[in-house]
Amino acid sequence: MMEYSHISPWMQDVEELPVEMSTRVRLARNVSHLPFPYMMKDNDGLEPVLRKLETALDGYRRVEMDDLQFEDKALLVEKHLVSPLFTKRGLLSYISEDESVSIMVNEEDHLRIQTMGVGLPMIDLYRKADAIDDMLESEVDYAFDEKYGYLTACPTNVGTGLRASVMLHLPALTFGSRIQTLAANLSRFGFTLRGIYGEGSVPLGHIYQLSNQLTLGQTEEEIINNLDELKERIVEEEMEMRSWLESEHLLEVKDSVYRSYGLLKHAYRMPLKEAAKCLSDLKLGTDLKLIEHEDFQFQKWIQLIQPAFIKMRLNEKDKEITSLEHAVEEERAALMRQLLGGE
Amino acid sequence: MKCESCNEREATIHISKGNGFEKTEKFLCEQCANASFENDFSYPDDTFNIQKLLKSLSEHPSLQQTKRRPKQCGTCGSTINTIVQMGKFGCPDCYATFGSQAADIISRVQAHQSEHVGKMPVKSRAHLKTRKKLEQLRGRLEKLVETQEFEEAAIVRDEIKALEEAGDNDGI
Repeated sequence: MMEYSHISPWMQDVEELPVEMSTRVRLARNVSHLPFPYMMKDNDGLEPVLRKLETALDGYRRVEMDDLQFEDKALLVEKHLVSPLFTKRGLLSYISEDESVSIMVNEEDHLRIQTMGVGLPMIDLYRKADAIDDMLESEVDYAFDEKYGYLTACPTNVGTGLRASVMLHLPALTFGSRIQTLAANLSRFGFTLRGIYGEGSVPLGHIYQLSNQLTLGQTEEEIINNLDELKERIVEEEMEMRSWLESEHLLEVKDSVYRSYGLLKHAYRMPLKEAAKCLSDLKLGTDLKLIEHEDFQFQKWIQLIQPAFIKMRLNEKDKEITSLEHAVEEERAALMRQLLGGE
Repeated sequence: MKCESCNEREATIHISKGNGFEKTEKFLCEQCANASFENDFSYPDDTFNIQKLLKSLSEHPSLQQTKRRPKQCGTCGSTINTIVQMGKFGCPDCYATFGSQAADIISRVQAHQSEHVGKMPVKSRAHLKTRKKLEQLRGRLEKLVETQEFEEAAIVRDEIKALEEAGDNDGI
């Protein structure tokens, strides 16, 4: 499973924008007249479908959940290639070479087609998923109803089966507590904004995910256009808030950016929460041009500090470990020091 | 007619009881009838207690329905209860099996939307096109017959026939 212990190729060497991060599109599809995964007694009914997928998805890597260790599964989750639910109950996933496409078999639905990208128009990502969907449709008899569209296990996905989402870095809106009002307003339009890593009131790294909640009554293009528009407005609000921070609280911002930089560069133990907060500060400082570091890539580094990634590094070192928690925190700090050229 | 038991309220229930040898009749009001079911009229052999049944019917007109075996999906065995409990349908066929209840659930979670307007599988696209065309032709045929333009109607009828035979006939 070592091949998944690196950052996904599609995420390498991308131009980082302020605020906007990666984008994901997924389509939920089911095979007609077959119980949904949670109701299936065995996978016999899926066999003919799997045989067809095998040929249609030539060139994709087939990753079976039963073959994986706990850590490997966690790694796939941290890379968003599979969902946490899928690692528990899923069957197998087809992953494209650059890891931008993943097709999960037996998540909540029989098929979940997912495309990911960064810096791409969301509609392009949809078109990519749409093309794969067309290809699979010619092989598999989908459950489709003229009134309700694509039929899914959960009624919250019925219709288009489309969930489009974009990750946003919103430190200034979090700082100004504007985020709660914003999230409440968005939900009235059928969209959600929520923290992507961790629970708690402030999400890890001030990273949020904006996604559509409704899947019925709108075309795929309409859903994506609306999401795009809302994203633009949130980006604008964040930028406005940042200008306000810059003009009214420059010293405080500078102070927290350089404190975080100092911690990342010199600490010897780093809990995940602290590391994420520091990286978020560093990103804000970079966007505001208060600090500069050539190799700094927020999205990549946020992924590198996640537990399964750190655990992989530890495994490679083959060190004797007494406390895993401490070992992970030490390794995380070591990684940060190394990346920022500290001691 | 006054109730035989309390002599106050109007008698609304006529109870006739017989065992083949003798027959008793009573005219009672609702309250006294209910009370009498519990005391006087119970059979010693309780295998099928008609009184209890009558009493329950008089008190719970809807009980009869809820006691009936709940509808089950033929493909996956889900009932509306399991669906509501899980928050998920059991299989694609549940959507049709639980028609109006499914519509209700969907409307609730999809902000009152009820109609898919997005992408369609190619197969369904062709199917839908044929169906729309047939609807249109059938409408035209009806009008032509009404206006007694039989020659034209014959042509349309043949067109319909040809479409029906060419297309997959299921449910068009």
